[in-house]
Amino acid sequence: MSAAKKYKPMDTTELHENTENIAACLKKAENVAPTAAAASNLGRSAFAAQNMNSASTNGERLPNFSKLGGSEIRTASTTSNLLNRMGAIHNSKPGDVKKIVIKNFKDKPTLPDNYSKDTYVKLEEAVIAIQLSKPIKYSLEELYQAVVNMCSHKMDAQLYAKLKELTEQHVKRNIKLKELTGGSMDKLILLEKINHWWLSFCQQMIMIRSIFLYMDRTYVLQNSTIHSIWDMGLDLFRIHFAQNSVVQKRTVDGLLTLIEKERQGSTVDRGLLKSLVRMLCDLQIYTSSFEEKFLDATNQLYKAESQRKMQELEVPEYLQHVNKRLAEENERLRHYLDSSTKHPLIYNVEKELLAEHLTSILQKGLDSLLEDNRLSDLTLLYGLLSRVKNGTSELCGNFNGFIKKKGRTIVIDPEKDKSMVQDLLDFKDKMDVIVRTCFEHNEKFTNSLREAFEFFINQRANKPAELIAKYVDMKLRSGNKGTTDEELEKTLDKIMVLFRFIHGKDVFEAFYKKDLAKRLLVGKSASVDSEKSMLSKLKQECGGGFTSKLEGMFKDMELSRDINIAFRGHALSNNRDVHNLDLCVSILTMGYWPTYAPTEVTMPPQFINPQQIFNKFYLEKHSGRKLQWQPTLGNCMLRAQFDAVPKEFVGFAVSSRLCFLLFNDKPPADLKKRIESLIDRDYMERDKDNQNQYNYVA
Amino acid sequence: MADDPENSVDRPTDDGDASKPEKMFTLKKWNAVAMWSWDVECDICAICRVQVMDSCLRCQADNKRDVMGRQDCVVVWGECNHSFHHCCMSLWVKQNNRCPLCQQEWSIQRMGK
Repeated sequence: MSAAKKYKPMDTTELHENTENIAACLKKAENVAPTAAAASNLGRSAFAAQNMNSASTNGERLPNFSKLGGSEIRTASTTSNLLNRMGAIHNSKPGDVKKIVIKNFKDKPTLPDNYSKDTYVKLEEAVIAIQLSKPIKYSLEELYQAVVNMCSHKMDAQLYAKLKELTEQHVKRNIKLKELTGGSMDKLILLEKINHWWLSFCQQMIMIRSIFLYMDRTYVLQNSTIHSIWDMGLDLFRIHFAQNSVVQKRTVDGLLTLIEKERQGSTVDRGLLKSLVRMLCDLQIYTSSFEEKFLDATNQLYKAESQRKMQELEVPEYLQHVNKRLAEENERLRHYLDSSTKHPLIYNVEKELLAEHLTSILQKGLDSLLEDNRLSDLTLLYGLLSRVKNGTSELCGNFNGFIKKKGRTIVIDPEKDKSMVQDLLDFKDKMDVIVRTCFEHNEKFTNSLREAFEFFINQRANKPAELIAKYVDMKLRSGNKGTTDEELEKTLDKIMVLFRFIHGKDVFEAFYKKDLAKRLLVGKSASVDSEKSMLSKLKQECGGGFTSKLEGMFKDMELSRDINIAFRGHALSNNRDVHNLDLCVSILTMGYWPTYAPTEVTMPPQFINPQQIFNKFYLEKHSGRKLQWQPTLGNCMLRAQFDAVPKEFVGFAVSSRLCFLLFNDKPPADLKKRIESLIDRDYMERDKDNQNQYNYVA
Repeated sequence: MADDPENSVDRPTDDGDASKPEKMFTLKKWNAVAMWSWDVECDICAICRVQVMDSCLRCQADNKRDVMGRQDCVVVWGECNHSFHHCCMSLWVKQNNRCPLCQQEWSIQRMGK
């Protein structure tokens, strides 16, 4: 439409109303005696008539209007007559006009007899032209006007029926055509045709609705049982599309073929798919005729595919594949499928690809994934399995099983005892990382991990506890260089985690105590802080009763230091006999320390003398006590004097040193050789820092 | 008796230092270890049935410590030479001032420290 013509429909409607009124007035004026009420009505009409007159003067602008029929023109010509009459009434009784009562016309104005017939024909022609995509003979506003007229004269029901009939015929015709030609056509072409038909049908319906808008707004709205024109169109389309199983089936099949092609990797016209799926949705047969078949096809495809792929692919690749498939289906949903399909489609795909193969995926792949620490694959696995029912619990169960199995191999084999604790720590670390990064720190997995460790670590009684105690000893002993206090602290924390799993805490305590005693007595503890920290960890874990004796051991060492200082002072002031000997006695409280079997050793006089002096000193200080000397626990340093080179021997057990002292009386000739042979047999070694010092190793 | 070995040790060490290597080996340093325990006939307290080396039941439960951190539960000997935890005995004598083992009048001979 050009800009100049645009305002016309408005004008026309307005004027048309007036015209109607005038027509009604005329009728009235002729039949009914003029009253005051009528006069006022007529006055209005006259006004309108004048308006109309002025409108008709520029008749070129309103070609429609003039065409509406001779009646209006006649109206104009008789207006003056009317006015005259009104004037006459007014003049005759000037004083009577007090009230003005407005009444409706008793009769409605009518249209010319052939009007409805003509209009039907006109509208029918127009509708058919639209349906055939041919130019319309009449202008659109003329048609609109016609519809309005028809509706105002109670012919809307017939008009609606007529329209419905026309539409139905059109739909039938088309579907027949599709049916006839459809059988031989390529599916894709058929789809395109149907799509084209559907799109043009929609356009046509929009056009028709625009023309029949007045009817849509009045007649249809007043009757709740009647569909609007648009819905009526869709309804008819649906009925015939659905009834015609050949066309419908071929369309749906065509769609499914297209989708399958896409799933197999070829590119297809997504626009076409989308448009047709929309069509099905609009026709409300999406669920009944398409979705079900689509889901079936999906299931079949993926069932076959998953079985094949499970055979062909390794689990990680299979998981990648599943992930890809899911992404594709999601994209498909986004691009052309109806969103209502989302849930069932994804559910079905997950079911076919994952849930059906849950156990075999886990059995086939999980162990090696865990073994090889393939974090990203495990993350993917967790992500996928958490989508399906029971997925995570199955995964958790298998995870648990793996830990138990693997853990058992670490613990049970006596040949691996040497590396057991380190292996356990590494294993725990690894599993922790997996739970944290791959399994989203899922509490179920954390608990399962704990339970599994506790289970397998106690599969072998006592040994793990012993080895853990030994491991701590190794870490706390000096000479364990290269680790900072912080690292040591971290290691101890990890050890405590393992310790928690162990049921035989008393076994651990016994070994720990033995090792601690050794560290304290030999002075080989790496750092007091670390010892104390370990002790406080144990205390936190098992309570004060567990550690009170261990604490007592530390106390004993402190007290011994004080006693030795006191003894040195005492010896210097009173007794010159021991000033050559650097004597240092550790006084242990019996009961706190491990029990050592007393050994009967005949001590040489060099030992007995200072021992007695110390005994006397100590028992004077502490009454009611007795001392039991432990020659096997002490150590001493000897000076050897041969070849005029002083050599020093340092060793652990005093008893072995005694042998050398016995040689004082009668040194064997081959003593040097014997020392060399001891060195050869790894009983002794030369000190690294001091060539003249020998350390006793055994 | 203590004098003899003292001398015998002393001389060789002195000699060793004085450039006359009479003895081949001399003792230079000794880190000795000894364990102390209460000098008692029976090492179980007859009142609480806990070893006298450990603290008595009551003290274990209360986890009592003195300033040194040592459990403050010493041993006490009566004139009859029977020994008990001091804590146990001090409660006992409130009821009955006799030794629970021999029924002699209880009087403290000495106390551990």
